[in-house]
Amino acid sequence: MKRNDYLYLDHAATTPMRDSAFEAFKNAEEFAFANSAGGHELSRRAKNLLEESRDFIASYFGAAPSEITFTSGGTEADNWVIKAPFIDTKKNQNLVTSKIEHEAVLASAEWLENQGHEVSFANCNKDGQVDIEDFLDNCNDNTSVASLMYANNETGVVQQIEKLAKEVKSKNSEILFHSDVVQAVSSEKLDFHKLGIDSAAVSGHKIGGPKGIGIMFLSSKYKLPNYFHGGKQELEKRAGTVNVSGVAGLAAALKEHQDNFESEKKKILQERQIFESEIKNALEAKIVGEKINRLCHISNIQFKNVNSETLMVALDLKGLGVSRGSACASGAQKPSHVLVAMNVPDVDINSHLRFSFGWNTIKGDGKHASEIVINTVREIL
Amino acid sequence: MRILVAMSGGVDSSVVAGLLKSQGHDVIGVTMKLWEGPNGEMPETGCCTAADSEDARKVAAKLDIPYYVLDYTKSFSENVIDNFVDMYSQGLTPNPCVECNRSVKFDHFIDQAKKLNCEKVATGHYAKIVSNDDTFELHKADYLEKDQSYVLHMLTGDILSKIDFPLGTISKPEVRQIAASLGLKTAFKKDSQDICFVGKKDYRNFVSSRIDFSSGGNIVDKNNNVIGTHEGVHQFTVGQRKGIPGGQGQAKYVTKIDVENNKVFIGSKADLTTKKFIIEDVSFVNGEEYENLSIQTRYNSHDIPCKLKKIDDSIFEIELYEPTLGVAPGQFGVIYNDTKLIGGGRISSKILENINE
Repeated sequence: MKRNDYLYLDHAATTPMRDSAFEAFKNAEEFAFANSAGGHELSRRAKNLLEESRDFIASYFGAAPSEITFTSGGTEADNWVIKAPFIDTKKNQNLVTSKIEHEAVLASAEWLENQGHEVSFANCNKDGQVDIEDFLDNCNDNTSVASLMYANNETGVVQQIEKLAKEVKSKNSEILFHSDVVQAVSSEKLDFHKLGIDSAAVSGHKIGGPKGIGIMFLSSKYKLPNYFHGGKQELEKRAGTVNVSGVAGLAAALKEHQDNFESEKKKILQERQIFESEIKNALEAKIVGEKINRLCHISNIQFKNVNSETLMVALDLKGLGVSRGSACASGAQKPSHVLVAMNVPDVDINSHLRFSFGWNTIKGDGKHASEIVINTVREIL
Repeated sequence: MRILVAMSGGVDSSVVAGLLKSQGHDVIGVTMKLWEGPNGEMPETGCCTAADSEDARKVAAKLDIPYYVLDYTKSFSENVIDNFVDMYSQGLTPNPCVECNRSVKFDHFIDQAKKLNCEKVATGHYAKIVSNDDTFELHKADYLEKDQSYVLHMLTGDILSKIDFPLGTISKPEVRQIAASLGLKTAFKKDSQDICFVGKKDYRNFVSSRIDFSSGGNIVDKNNNVIGTHEGVHQFTVGQRKGIPGGQGQAKYVTKIDVENNKVFIGSKADLTTKKFIIEDVSFVNGEEYENLSIQTRYNSHDIPCKLKKIDDSIFEIELYEPTLGVAPGQFGVIYNDTKLIGGGRISSKILENINE
């Protein structure tokens, strides 16, 4: 996909499609458009493409092909794994998660709570790291699912998944440990089994793939009740005609991502480093999680005494696209639940913006963006 | 010129954006999100619904202008809603639209416009700004039927210099015509008349849900004879006829609300008549004027010739040349010289009583 004049620093929201993904998507629609569950030549083509793609994707994440089910996106996978284990259980089963999860997990958890299940939300510290002790304290013999995101989508702060997964298991080996890794896939190499997680949600469009396609990884040790009911697709696990072109696009995006992983990561880190240091030198600004482990593509910055809603609009009018918390139905932006959980004081909570770099970031973007931001902040102060 | 246009999703502000754009201005559309449900959702009724902002967005897309929904909920809740409930609990009749214009809309909006390098803000209000050299006057709209200058009376010349009301010289039918000719989907949308945060529901329930009125009291006549009881003074406004007991062939109206003693006074239509009253928190568009004045005591009421007397910097006495009915404390008295708006202030309760008795 071609870049235009607009400087896009909102890759954490979604990424432009990689050329290879777009090609694969288009090819699939052209030559393998048939229903992959059908019994004829064209269906076989679709089915073959689907399974080739599944094999590659599974190996990319260190999983078996049978552990990969395709969904409509990360949100569906999160909903499935958070809610489905509770469908047939007695009311005394509980869920443990954190206060800083993506809405797909949070809202699913709140829904369970409304259904009468016990749900606990672990706290985080002021840097946005979830308190592992608090999380573990909430896990007990009645815990069905424990869910912690690999890295936060607003701050980029990486959580201690491997450690937590191990400790949760040693407390109660039957707990299904889920992780929403949607944001992490673009800047970390993940091996699901090595991480010790039982399930994971992945989204295609965050890594240069198409929208409307996602992955639900579920370890072969577990079985979940179906969430969608209908045809017998995906080994009878997920009803609905499989989005084969989406899967092909996602596999191609992952392949390109894999081939360019080191160079892309280096470039993104460099641009972010330039961006952040320019801003810190020129403005009274604080970078969330600056000193701790965070994803290389996200920079969440607090601008002292600046209303970030106004700043976001002013930046847009100058051709720089960024975001602030998550948008509500109207498009108005609300203060982020993540910053609330981090105990960011009221006076500062509306002063944060998230800048996120991505695969099509080029050399100079960091400097260019910092200049726009610095000038704009000075104008509105 | 870069102009920030407040777009509610109605036909009036849609046309404002369209007109300014066609005049070659650099137009930016904004919907102010004023009011929301407990989980941040937009209301389903009244104005400011999600469907309204969706309409505004579509108009902006059609006009090819940038468009944003900005969050004003905190300021609205603190300045308008709290005030609305508080006024009713004091036996006053609030005017939330005036309060909103006064403490939420223009201040904040103009400030934001400045930060976004906009020279002016524009809204779809029916009112006219007339500039002579360096002074900016506020006038009634040419299309009197829709004139909204009353709810804008607190704007001073200084502030008016940063505002544009393009509908001041256009009639409502013309506005709909322009909208249709621009292909805007709001062209035939119904006007909203309700209080935006109450919608079609009864405002009394809204007030009751936000404040604890454990104590009811008596309904009395002007000689303090008890006629009946009530379940909270917030359920009444001066001039109200509905739900008042004991007519004896003659219609009864609320004439006065005494919050301290929890009493609602009722009387005949004649008891509602006022000749003199006090307005407080008075502001003038461009300074005081005393000749050829008339006053409106409610939004869109008729002009009553009057005399203005200064009591204090912000407190004035109004003497009407002809007595009028239903001057309600809490509403605003807005003073005009013909079509020119001179100033206005809130109708006071306490001092009104002193003069009448």
